[in-house]
Parts: sequence; structure tokens; C-alpha cells
Amino acid sequence: METARWRDTINLDDLWEGDMAAVTVDGETVLLVNVDGTVRAYSNRCPHQASALDEGDLDGETLTCAKHLWEFNAVTGGGINPDDARLTSYGCQVGDDGTIYVDIGR
Amino acid sequence: MRRPRIVVIGGGAGSAAAVAELRKQGFDGSLTLVSAENTVPYERPPLSKGFLLGTSGQVPVKDAAWYEQASVELILGSRATRLDLAARTVTLSGGAVLGYDQLLLATGVRPRVLPGLDGDGVCYLRTSEDAAALRDRMTAAGHVAVLGGGFIGCEVAAAAIRLGKRATILEALPTLLHRALGPELGDVVAGIHRDEGVDVRTGQQVLGIRPRRGGVRISTAAGDVDADVLVVGVGTVPNTELAEQAGLPAGHGIEVDECFATAAPGIYAIGDVAAQHLPGHGRRVRVEHHDTAVRHGRVAARNMAGQREPFADVHWFWSDQYDHTISSAGLIPGSDGPGELVIRGSLEQRNFSAFSLDGDRVRAVISLNRPRDVLDARRLIARDHSATAAQLCDESLPLKRLAAPAVTAT
Repeated sequence: METARWRDTINLDDLWEGDMAAVTVDGETVLLVNVDGTVRAYSNRCPHQASALDEGDLDGETLTCAKHLWEFNAVTGGGINPDDARLTSYGCQVGDDGTIYVDIGR
Repeated sequence: MRRPRIVVIGGGAGSAAAVAELRKQGFDGSLTLVSAENTVPYERPPLSKGFLLGTSGQVPVKDAAWYEQASVELILGSRATRLDLAARTVTLSGGAVLGYDQLLLATGVRPRVLPGLDGDGVCYLRTSEDAAALRDRMTAAGHVAVLGGGFIGCEVAAAAIRLGKRATILEALPTLLHRALGPELGDVVAGIHRDEGVDVRTGQQVLGIRPRRGGVRISTAAGDVDADVLVVGVGTVPNTELAEQAGLPAGHGIEVDECFATAAPGIYAIGDVAAQHLPGHGRRVRVEHHDTAVRHGRVAARNMAGQREPFADVHWFWSDQYDHTISSAGLIPGSDGPGELVIRGSLEQRNFSAFSLDGDRVRAVISLNRPRDVLDARRLIARDHSATAAQLCDESLPLKRLAAPAVTAT
């Protein structure tokens, strides 16, 4: 990758469609989601009270935090319930060999 | 043409959700929210948890600027004292009379006050004002006594321990959270509190209290307990007076149908005060949980905006005590506690989900430290599924697998 900030994480083979996984990037816990082949990276902390989102549920495009049922659109990162919340998005790319690269911006 | 007017009575999270949804649905008439409290609607769950520890402040559902932006008129520090169905007006404690086209009653509940249990050193917990007073009192206290081993009592005792105080829970029933969880799971919770250092005394009969220097002396059938503060959490009373005065059926809560409509046209009720007829449950249910109130607010707003949407969300709640989380989805059939439960996981290890099974259907789940199971069960409850006790106990079988296969279009 071009910049030094892209970090390689897991391979797409290990993140099936409809799956999510938590990885650590530069000391930060990052949530990877695969919605119909589209991979997105977010902070793994729920914007509500920082609960780990990977302990929640991914149902179609809807990501639900297990702690207090906050819901997000896993493709856009936008809040569904409440609708004025938002996930922290990180840069995310999938390399030719399936490696998922994440840039958390530091 | 005159703009239609909707008035919302009550300043809880359900009201805030309702006015937000009304605007989202395109209701552009006049919208007024009346609250007896002097503040915009805020989140109550932290009041018995982080607020007492000082790790959470008062968290507004929407900040004051939002209401201005959304053209929602706030009338704070004011109670609705009279409802006139024929004239379609509500009279407020200050004397103002508001006309309405549609009215939403979200008057909530208040703590049940026991006769003789009040005065200096005795605290009840419902509002942020109550919580601030309790926090100040607890900070100065050495020994915090709690009367009532329900959710409020358990959370306050946990906060007291976290603050380094001595804590005693006095409960009349044989264990903690007895009504919500039943004896078996209640014992697990009692064990957690005892291990954290709480003096848990169940089967206690409180005879009375009297003030003593800097605190209270609580007389029980088994002897006296001296404490610096007594927190009473012995249930609630629904605030049905306004509805009753107007002649609306409100025996054990304001009676509403599955779309939140009361017996009077244009008047709806939601949240803790609403006793809702749900066809799938065969009984009227009144649920006092934050998430339910918020969902009520949203769905009632859509009905008020002209849609017809019966409430179908699965009831859900959580309680944090120490590092443990109790969470639950669904409604226990009947009203005598959870009855027979199927356990997945281990009571001893305090890591389990307890399922209420009705034939081959999961009706409800109560979990300790397994919020993920609750999410999965919540999905099952909302959909077609089939489960046996053996399957629910089998941890190698993901709960999701119990869902009926989706009908696929060909």
C-alpha cells in the first residue's frame, strides 16, 4: 500500500459475508464487517458507552450493540436507533490477495 | 386552516422519542411537551448506576436546542391537573389551558411510598433530583441500607459498595429480584451481592423507622438496623390520576390497544403508565423498562401520524450490577414469575441464559453476562422458530439455528 498508515489485518477468507470480527490495529480495537461482500472498518466501541460491538449482532445491514440495543447501518455507519448516533469509520481496503487493510488515521 | 395540535403529557424518554418521531413522520402542526420536571427529558437508567458513582452526569435524550430546532414547545415544571375530553383541553398546574387535537399520555410511574417511611435520611429514587439528593447523602454515608431487593435496590446497593460504603439489603421475599427472576436465579444474584460484601437479609419484615443522629434506625422483626441513609425501592404506582379523572379506563395503568389508543378518540398512552392489550400474550401488560418506553413512543407517534402499526417489538431490558449484566428479552407468560426455566450455561459460574419455553417456542430469556444470547433469543422470539429444552441447553448449537428456515423466493 502507498502510505505507511495502512495496516494489514485478516484475510477476506476469514470474514464471510454476514460476519464481523474484531482486530487490533495500532493498539486500537477495530470492527470489520462484511455485508454482501462489502467490507467496512469501524471503531469496535459503541458510541454510546464504548461497549465492544463485535459481541453484538449483525443481521443483514443492521449491526446491534448487545449492551443497550443501539442499532447502526453496517454499510454507512449511520445510526438507526437512535438515528443521531454514528459509528467511527476507518479507512478500509481489500488487497488483491484478499488481505483486509485498515487505516485508523494515525 | 388551523394547524393541528398534539400535546404530550410527561417528560420521560418515551415522550422525547414520540415528539422526535412525530416530526420525522412529517407532522408539522403545533407540538407541545409538558413535563413536571424542570428539565428536558433525560435518560433515567444511569440514575441508579453511574450517576451515583459520579461517572455519569444527567444525560438529555435530546439537548434543549433540538426542541427549538424542531419547533417543539416545552412546558417544564408543570403538571397536567385536569383533562376535559369533551372540550379537548388539558389544564396545567399553573392554570394554563391547552387545547389539543391529539393527546399522548406518558405520565409514567412514581415510587411506591410506604406509610411511615419518609423524612430525613429516607430516599426514594425516580428523578434526577432524587438521584442527586441520594448521591450527596451516599457520599457522606458510612452505611447505606436498602429496603427492597428489586432492580433499583440491587443497583443502589452495588453503587454503595463501589463507593466503598457498607451496604445492607432488606427484602421481604425469600431472595433478591424474586418477582422478576424467580427463586433460583434470584439466589444467584443474592450470591453476587453477598460476595461483594452486601449484607443481604431476605424474608425481612420491616416494622418501622425512626430518626437517629445523622441517619435512621430501621426496626425489623429480626432486630434493628442502623444506617446513615435508607433507600426505599419497593415498587411503583402508575400515574393514572389524570386519565381516571377524565373517565378513561385505567385500573392498573391506562388501558390501551395494540396501537396505543385509549378508550377516547385521539388520546394515546405509552410507557410505564400504559397497560397494553397485546393479542399474542392473552393479557394486558404494563412494562416498566426504558427501551420499551422509547419503542412505545416511536410506534405511538406513527399511529398518531395516521399509520396503523400494532406494537410488535420484543420487550427487552438490562441491569448492571458490579461487573455483571442481567439482560432479558420477551415477556414471561403469566404474572407469577418466570416459572420453569431451561438453563444454558452455568448458574455456579454466573454465566447463563434461562429460557422460558412454551411448547416449542421461546417466550422469554433472562441472562447473566450473556447479552449475545439475549440478542439471538430476541430474534427468535420475533420470528417463527422451534426449540426443545435439549437444544437450548446445548452450547455447541448456535441459538440462531433454531430459527425456521427463511422462505426463499425461487
